[in-house]
Amino acid sequence: MSAVRLIARDELRLMRRNRVAVIAFALLVLLTLIAAMTSWTHQQGVADLRARFQSEADRAFDAQPDRHPHRVVHYGHFIFRPLGPLAAFDPGVDAFTGNSMFLEGHRQNTANFGDVRQSSQLIRFGQLTPAFVLQILAPLLLIFLGYGALARERERGTLRQLLAQGVSGRQLFAGKAVALGLVAILIGLPAMIGFALIAGQPGALAGPMAVIALGYAAWLLLWTLVVVLVSASVARSRDALLALLAIWAVAVILLPRIAPDIAGQAHPLTTRLETDIAIQRDLRQLGDSHNADDPFFAAFKQKILDQYGVARVEDLPVNYKGLLAIEGEKLTSRLFDRYAANSFATQSRQSTVMNGFGLLSPTIALRHLSMAAAGTDLAGHRRFLDQAEAYRFDIVQRLNRLQAEAVSYADDTAKDPGADRRKRVADSHWDRIPDFAFRPASATALVGAALPGLAIVIGWLFAAIAAAWFVSGRLQRNSK
Amino acid sequence: MNPAAPLLEMSNITVAYGAHRVLDGISLGVGAGEIYALLGGNGAGKSTTLSALLGFIQPTAGDVRVGGIDPARDPDAARRQIAYLPESVALYEHLSARENTAYLLALADQAQQDEAIAEAFGATGLQADAWDKRLAGFSKGMRQKVAIAVALLRHVPVLLLDEPTSGLDPRATADFNRLVEQVRDRGAAVLMVTHDLLSAADIADRIGFLEHGRIVDEVTASGPDRFDVRALHHKFGAAPADAIAA
Repeated sequence: MSAVRLIARDELRLMRRNRVAVIAFALLVLLTLIAAMTSWTHQQGVADLRARFQSEADRAFDAQPDRHPHRVVHYGHFIFRPLGPLAAFDPGVDAFTGNSMFLEGHRQNTANFGDVRQSSQLIRFGQLTPAFVLQILAPLLLIFLGYGALARERERGTLRQLLAQGVSGRQLFAGKAVALGLVAILIGLPAMIGFALIAGQPGALAGPMAVIALGYAAWLLLWTLVVVLVSASVARSRDALLALLAIWAVAVILLPRIAPDIAGQAHPLTTRLETDIAIQRDLRQLGDSHNADDPFFAAFKQKILDQYGVARVEDLPVNYKGLLAIEGEKLTSRLFDRYAANSFATQSRQSTVMNGFGLLSPTIALRHLSMAAAGTDLAGHRRFLDQAEAYRFDIVQRLNRLQAEAVSYADDTAKDPGADRRKRVADSHWDRIPDFAFRPASATALVGAALPGLAIVIGWLFAAIAAAWFVSGRLQRNSK
Repeated sequence: MNPAAPLLEMSNITVAYGAHRVLDGISLGVGAGEIYALLGGNGAGKSTTLSALLGFIQPTAGDVRVGGIDPARDPDAARRQIAYLPESVALYEHLSARENTAYLLALADQAQQDEAIAEAFGATGLQADAWDKRLAGFSKGMRQKVAIAVALLRHVPVLLLDEPTSGLDPRATADFNRLVEQVRDRGAAVLMVTHDLLSAADIADRIGFLEHGRIVDEVTASGPDRFDVRALHHKFGAAPADAIAA
């Protein structure tokens, strides 16, 4: 048997004979299994709930009675963001961003009802998901199991004894790393069982799943090497434990918490109130369609009259109020789109800063790759918002066109007792408006978005391998 | 390797840390079937000598050979020629005596059957009921027996001993010395660094006296009494006077 295997086997034997280590390992494996199962159940529950709500909202929209189209514009419509299967592994920002939207005319609403607003504040610490366990808790267990791997040998004098048997420093390092790496694999196994469950679901994409599996394998391997590296570099086990806990606290807890604040400071987003005030101000500047002297709408009116070759709006073959609504919606949508684009641009700059922090903390890079591949990152949220806005604009303009074509101008402006009835259009129209269908990102897009994070984690892994090569070479002589 | 050459050889070895010379041009050679005791007080450079032979430190100047191999260039190969007993025998508390022995031998690529290990334990005098017990409750003497069993089973040409009798009672010391003689009689070169003049005089074929990193004198055993311990003590003061008087 090779020296590396012998050392690995002895290290595992030591862990097996350490009751605390066995209990800690069993607890983490159990926790990961529970996380996988509960997260899966939660995801299924949420997906079912949203599908049911969406179905009910669609039914309620379609079940509206005969109505003036503009009332339907204001009746609005609820849509829900469906969750992909990988959200069971890493729900990403879903709990924070909201998952439903109320769509109506003249304005773009934001998403509502994120789990955070409906749950205890504990959810902000982190949901119990396989991703959370692997990102936060697994490195901690690897630290507790491996901090003494080489420091203990040095402290007790057995390092010199091992080297005196003709074992090289690199064999020794490799043996310890293999043992801890096997533990890391066992830690990751329950999450992979969860993954296997997901793999069988419709919509599960092989490419993103492979990227996630590769990313987390590299992450656990990186921690394995870091633990053994620190253990090889200090004189006492206690020093190794303290150093590793400090590294963990900074890389896994502190930097991922600080980085968004720094990104937010560097590229601040305007507050909701500021944005609302600015939009109202700009809306006023767009013009007033009810004011005959408003230059923009006066010009619009003249353009329409010229287009149809008539002198009065009453002579138009279509309802001028409907045309006015179409034009107004175009203008307000353009305005909202501009504010949304500005906001997304700022968020994108914040993301760039965040990704820069990934170079300092591979945890940030791992989270980025994990959420991006699962489709639960900010880009995934934006995909939902973009599609929701496109859908909103489409249904509002369909209804405005219906007003222009199915309701006469005379009826629309009439105020007699029967006018309200004449303004209504048949309820069969509502059913013809298509339901919202969220189009998730393709596997290629998800993999592409996850690659930068994966590259950083793998870069860290290579750096750790290089450091391990250097430090293990020095072990040969540095036995005290 | 030249068969006539010493198995352990140091020529003009200097180990210096800045201006401080821990070893200052020492030369010694230990041949097959010979026990060489290097005596010296604290800080004389005894452990540094062993570290240089094991390749744990690189001499500032001079040449070291272990079985013809330079440990500074190829420490792994040099160490495969050596069985080494540190002052405090460092073994694994979570393993039994048998598991420790099997593990260390396997690492040295000299895995042995249980019967061979039992035979070596028998030769060292380790009680049979201790063979499968974890080392946590072992005395220093018992640990040394385990370590010497490893050395016996490795069948290496060189045995390095670092203060092997410190902390042992006279009976255990005598038992240990007999084991070292067994190793020597098998043809190994034994280098023992110690400050125990009595033990050195008991088994060594030659004794070198180390002071401030230099071998200041060397005596060879001769005649039935081997060494004049009292004379050595008066000359170097290297052993407890009451022990010599006894």
